[in-house]
Amino acid sequence: MIHQISLENLSKTFLVPHQRRTTLKESFVDFLAAGLWRRPVNEQFFALTDVSLQITAGEFVGIIGPNGSGKSTLLKLLAGIYRPDRGQLQVSGSIAPLLELGIGFQQDLSARDNIFLNAVLLGLPAAKTRKILPDIVEFAEIGHFLDLKIKNYSSGMRQRLAFAIAAFIDADIYLCDEVFAVGDESFQAKCLQVFQNWRAAGKTIILVSHNTGQIASICDRAVLMQGGRIMADGEPQSVVSLYQSAL
Amino acid sequence: MRGEFKLRYKSSLLGYFWTLFKPLMLFGVIYLVFSVFLKNPMQNYAVYLLLGIILWTFFTEATMTGMNSLITKRDLITKIFFPRENLVLAATLSSLITLLLNLIIFAAFFFGSGLHLGWSSLLFLPYLALLFLFTTGLSFILASLYVRFHDLSHIWEVLLQILFWITPIVYDMSFVPDQYRAWLYLNPMTQFISFSRRIFLIDQVPSLKQHAVLLVTSLLVFAVGYYFFKQQEYKVAEMI
Repeated sequence: MIHQISLENLSKTFLVPHQRRTTLKESFVDFLAAGLWRRPVNEQFFALTDVSLQITAGEFVGIIGPNGSGKSTLLKLLAGIYRPDRGQLQVSGSIAPLLELGIGFQQDLSARDNIFLNAVLLGLPAAKTRKILPDIVEFAEIGHFLDLKIKNYSSGMRQRLAFAIAAFIDADIYLCDEVFAVGDESFQAKCLQVFQNWRAAGKTIILVSHNTGQIASICDRAVLMQGGRIMADGEPQSVVSLYQSAL
Repeated sequence: MRGEFKLRYKSSLLGYFWTLFKPLMLFGVIYLVFSVFLKNPMQNYAVYLLLGIILWTFFTEATMTGMNSLITKRDLITKIFFPRENLVLAATLSSLITLLLNLIIFAAFFFGSGLHLGWSSLLFLPYLALLFLFTTGLSFILASLYVRFHDLSHIWEVLLQILFWITPIVYDMSFVPDQYRAWLYLNPMTQFISFSRRIFLIDQVPSLKQHAVLLVTSLLVFAVGYYFFKQQEYKVAEMI
């Protein structure tokens, strides 16, 4: 079986921020205090420890777990934002990194400009964006507000616009972090439909969410993370109930 | 493609009017002090001064915005991967555009003073290219260091102020006593400004050796800066 995403014993540690020197002045003072060759001892935070995970093309994987369990770090590693300290990470295919919606939105620009800006950051060339612009506008239900500056948008409108752009990004793998909490109920139904369309098109989706009910109902597979490790991996219903019983 | 976009939204924020206005204000006040109050006898002092100020303004603006470019786009860097050098390049390129616009004002002054261009003026184009490479290389280094050391902006600001006075901007190299001249020439900005003045105002071409030094310094600073930046690049998202 060919895996589209393959993680082998992946580890990621961070230095605890309050111990990090962030000014030259501090570095200089430390340097005087400790001497040239002794490096300060840093406390490490193990964000991910020995994570192994294989995902095949077309799978819809939900990742759940308490705050600080390493879910977002895992997505950032997959998106190439972080580099692993140890272990193997292999990803084949193009990635749509939807870690946050509406990346790069500029308050002082119109919605139209922001669509192009955001789409470019997500890897969509301007010519393609021009072609799908009407679809995005229709999906976002912003109609004749297209040339309004985005700072005058309501937060709901802004979120709808951001999701609409993401919905029209074409990639092999979609990395989504908590993107469900968008809009009113009818819009949420549309969002759900987007996921169904991606799935129907054979796309790989990785969804991080705290909405366990949703994970259980729409994913093919769920992964439970805790303390930077994978605690359970399998059929969504049972993984979710395991998580809930542990709470 | 991405750079183009960054530029577009940068320009909308800055407004070119102010970026053009700033060097002219500086020019006006320095001209008042040195030419009217102190009665500097130099011929065409206004043209000398303006050229120096325009090139210097590019240097300060590009290095300051280049240094800040990663920090100000923190939300992008932590949420999406793209080649980080685009941010620095967008900053220095937008400063370059300002420089080109400023040169239009310079041209007006130049021809307004009844001066004519000699053939050596063509050298200004390679100077501009090298100045851009030098400044961008320096910005790469500053940007990667600034992510680590948040007080670098203050340090750089102070350094820029010192450099402003030890670079021939308000004065000409001919005012500098011989024993100091070599020291001043260690600063590439001195070379850029004084060579540019020479080709424009006295139609005199600097020596081949001087050009070789400028070429090597600029390319080296760019190469080292870019290499250093790429070495640090993957850590930026964690440190920022």
